[in-house]
Amino acid sequence: MLQTWCARLRKRGLDTLPFWLILPTVLVLLVVQVYPAVYTLWLSLHEREPQGWFYVGLKNYNRLFHTSLFSESVGHTLVFLLGYVGLTMAAGFCVALLLSRNVRFSGLYITLLFIPWIIADIIAGLVFRLLVVPDYGLLSGILQNPSLFLPHGLSVLTAVRPQPWFGQFPFPPAPAMLYLILASSWRALPFITLLLLASLQTIPTEIIESSRIDGASRTQVIRRILIPLMLPTLVVALFSLTLSGMNGVGMIFSLTSGGPGTSTEVLSYMLYSIGWRQLRFGRAAALAMLIALVNWLLISGTLRFTRVQDRRD
Amino acid sequence: MARALLTRRQWENLLVNGALILVSVLAMLPIATTLLISFKNEEDIIRKPPVIFPCDTPETAFSWQDCRWAVEGYQRVLAPKPAAGWPGFKLAGNMFRIYVPNTLLYALSSSLAVVLLAGLAGYAFSRYRFRGHDILLTGILAITGVPLLTNLLALYQMGVTLRKSALPLYNDRLFIIFVYIGFFLPLSVWIAKGFFDAIPHELEEAALIDGCSPVGALTRITMPLALPGLMAIFLLTFVNVWNEFIAGYLLIARNDLKPAMFGLYDFLSQNIINLQVIAAACILIALPVVLLFLFTRRSFFRAMMEGAVKG
Repeated sequence: MLQTWCARLRKRGLDTLPFWLILPTVLVLLVVQVYPAVYTLWLSLHEREPQGWFYVGLKNYNRLFHTSLFSESVGHTLVFLLGYVGLTMAAGFCVALLLSRNVRFSGLYITLLFIPWIIADIIAGLVFRLLVVPDYGLLSGILQNPSLFLPHGLSVLTAVRPQPWFGQFPFPPAPAMLYLILASSWRALPFITLLLLASLQTIPTEIIESSRIDGASRTQVIRRILIPLMLPTLVVALFSLTLSGMNGVGMIFSLTSGGPGTSTEVLSYMLYSIGWRQLRFGRAAALAMLIALVNWLLISGTLRFTRVQDRRD
Repeated sequence: MARALLTRRQWENLLVNGALILVSVLAMLPIATTLLISFKNEEDIIRKPPVIFPCDTPETAFSWQDCRWAVEGYQRVLAPKPAAGWPGFKLAGNMFRIYVPNTLLYALSSSLAVVLLAGLAGYAFSRYRFRGHDILLTGILAITGVPLLTNLLALYQMGVTLRKSALPLYNDRLFIIFVYIGFFLPLSVWIAKGFFDAIPHELEEAALIDGCSPVGALTRITMPLALPGLMAIFLLTFVNVWNEFIAGYLLIARNDLKPAMFGLYDFLSQNIINLQVIAAACILIALPVVLLFLFTRRSFFRAMMEGAVKG
């Protein structure tokens, strides 16, 4: 009798133990992640007056959509994401393919390739900025040479956007935008390469060898075997790149500060300039909600794909 | 025939290696140029057109003996001044007097807290099945993906309210550390769970049968085995906090509490033309984490793969 009672008590102690272990984490996440998300929603529906906050409904969203910079920023974000995600995925896939061939110094290559990832985004931005500082940057010497780049040479940090081809859509982008894409890809490449390499290494070499014996060409192996087998990882990489591209702002701060003019002002930087430079918190919160919506779509997509992966294991 | 096949393979190897060397060089090039710039003196920085190596003389384009390497950039970042007592000088530059100690404090304390919390929660998620297990875990996985940016406005308002409420012992340091913990915790919980999953639970069961309490089994058996994993979480969080810019910039009101990344950003506005100073500051701030990474890269890769596959 006493023994069963003791066992039950002990069992109950064991039952509540995981609860106590998880409680601090859950509390911290509620305060730092969940509450601010709800608070941002509340902020986006209110406007600050000298007397306090007043409910204004969807007025903030309405005002945001009618800001002239908003549609332009959406365009910049699309151009940036397209370039950044496309370039990083393509380069990452190629480098991962190279590394998967079991070359002798692959450890050394991976270590060297990985250093850009370990460097802060703001430092990466500064490093790339140093190269193209007007007149004094090392690359400026080449780019500003009028005989190489007609008609007056090219200055990355000051050249304005060319005349858009499709109405108001900011394409072709300014040189600064292309340079920003290059710098962002430089920093994101190692992570994507490693992610894709890990996925490549789980594919049994027998499959590839047998298909080669059956007469498949190299491009066929990549298109018909590697890409389908890597699809979940490719999607995860694509979504995580889009997510970091949507929300990464440090490099814009140190590389271009949104300039020249507004030609690299993407939505994430616009959030900063509305919120902290113009101090329009309601409107900024509305923009934050829009970015959060895109984030959540990307996250739920990622979750679906990782769950598929788990089920396969 | 066999010989021909071998040479073909050698050719291929050569090609792959060549491509990889090219990629590595491209990856290192911006860093190498920054290093070069940081060791130039002011006259060589403001030359038009710019020179890559400050080694030219009126007679020759390049000679090793005439290189004008300088540490002026580093001197202006560090601003060493003689001082009494050990070590005989002190660093008067704001960067190493204010910002870097701040960053060290934030990075160390938040990564220690993250290791502790993530260790406990990861252990619970790995070892116990309880009501809400899967929902909580999926929730944490979802939060892992949420970037700091969209929460910043609300966190900023929270910070303003807290500052006004004049709590005893409260300052922005506590707030920013708390934000960093909350922001880097979800990923770490997942990484920790993965590491605990890899430790066979039979070991703990054996200890329990031998009369060890559950907490004793955790602290004496599982934790020592999980130590490399927890170390990896610590390193990853440390580097993440060290490199974080936007929260440290916006959520801290007083400049003397801001972290090193803000110091760098501030440097940019003060030294538009003195590229060697900016370059030296970049090298000095990036060097600690790069060295940390080089010495512990195995840990990093393990933690990253554990986290990346999930989120």
